[in-house]
Amino acid sequence: MSIHIRLQALRNARNTLLRQPIATLLTIIALAVVFALPVGLFTALSNIQQLLASWHDQAQISLYLHSDASPQAIAQLRTQLRQSPGVVAVRYVDKQQALTDFQRYAGMTAAIQTLGENPLPASLIVELNPLAQSPEQLEQQLQQWSHAAIVSSAQSDLKWVARLQAIVALGTRAVYILAILLALGAVLVMGNTIRLHIEQRRDEIEISSLVGATRSFIRRPFLYQGLIQGIFAGFLAWAIVAVAFAVLQGPVNHLASLYGTQFPLRALSPLEGFLLVLISAALGWLGSLLAVGRHLDNTVS
Amino acid sequence: MIEFINVTKHYPGRRHVLRELNLHLDKGEMVLLTGPSGAGKSTLLKLLTRLEAVSHGTLRVAGVDLATLRRRHIPAYRRRVGVVFQDHKLLMDRNVYDNVALTLQVAGMSPRQLDNRVRAALDKVGLSEHWREFPATLSGGEQQRVGIARAIVHTPEILLADEPTGNLDPELSNDILDMFRDFYRHGTTVLVATHDQGQVERMRLRTLHLAHGQLQERA
Repeated sequence: MSIHIRLQALRNARNTLLRQPIATLLTIIALAVVFALPVGLFTALSNIQQLLASWHDQAQISLYLHSDASPQAIAQLRTQLRQSPGVVAVRYVDKQQALTDFQRYAGMTAAIQTLGENPLPASLIVELNPLAQSPEQLEQQLQQWSHAAIVSSAQSDLKWVARLQAIVALGTRAVYILAILLALGAVLVMGNTIRLHIEQRRDEIEISSLVGATRSFIRRPFLYQGLIQGIFAGFLAWAIVAVAFAVLQGPVNHLASLYGTQFPLRALSPLEGFLLVLISAALGWLGSLLAVGRHLDNTVS
Repeated sequence: MIEFINVTKHYPGRRHVLRELNLHLDKGEMVLLTGPSGAGKSTLLKLLTRLEAVSHGTLRVAGVDLATLRRRHIPAYRRRVGVVFQDHKLLMDRNVYDNVALTLQVAGMSPRQLDNRVRAALDKVGLSEHWREFPATLSGGEQQRVGIARAIVHTPEILLADEPTGNLDPELSNDILDMFRDFYRHGTTVLVATHDQGQVERMRLRTLHLAHGQLQERA
């Protein structure tokens, strides 16, 4: 296939789009909004996951140690734990520290003093990324750790992690469904636009066919139209998401400061942005392909 | 060059438009096809451009069996044929040059390659001065000549014309038909459908009369 045929089709597509600038712009904006919605939600979800992953001090497992556990055995287990998947930090709390903490938080100083000796065991506190593993994997890991020779018992709140993961999974699934529906909507928008272009250029298609144009020759400018509009819509959707996140950054900073923390919103990276443009272009092309295939059958003899 | 063997064409639920038609046209021959409106002249030309398929029989054009021609091979076949229409079928948003160039563009010719041919075709129909103009600014006769230039720019083996002088005055009609005669003298097979009896008598060519779906040879 000669390059000049493709260039000619590209010029043809460009001219058609420029002849109707308002209609072209409206189509691009409609597509951009359709693409920006799921992409914005995906990015928001990614930010939420990032935030949840930072809550590792909320997802802890306490491994209580036998009183006769040697410092070497404790150090060895600590190293093992650090290397386990999803473990963010491992903290050793000795008997004295446990007593101090207990007195501080429980306020039962008098009762403990009557015992004469410190009854609290030393422990290893394992901080986890709550989203790194499934609740089943965490449960399995907990079982494995609790059977270590120097561990007398283990305590955790894995139900909290399970609930959190279920909410995140629900949100992810909802965004996926929305993305699929909106992608379908984008294909339909493009298909309908191309259908209108085919109707407007029915004479040209008929005459081209009469003088020996192949279906691919007739189809190509329409496919390029879809592709061009898809590319522009992709870039516009990228800009919409970037602006939306920039606008939200102020209120998010304020909210984070009220909790004594910082939370910089992460918008689309250049790679993700170009992927968005690529997907948008592909959907524009696909919408055109479906519309052209269907409507040319009725137009070309 | 063109051979109809027992060709029948009918549309579902309608009478037979062409019935057991037999016809033979040699290479480089020019034939006039006459007949009243609705006799099937346009249908016959549509069969030859493969806009319609034969219902029964064999239709061979330049060695191509149109009855069994596959859909994907139709464009290549049409590039061997030139067609002139009564209503010109010009693209009104393209100038004269681009209208004529279309035939070569669909054949994959580059702008540089097609330029000489387009200019030569426009010269042949006497429109070289009008190449930048748009069809709407031209007279009926000039528009028809653009249609002819588009039909001959790729030097087709066969030239088909459906009532090419239908909307023109007698003097312009003479010019157009003389142009066709010139093409056939250069080796192109030409078939012209017309109901203009005056032109038929003036041309003194082989004439076929189509009536009730049947062809009759006329002297």
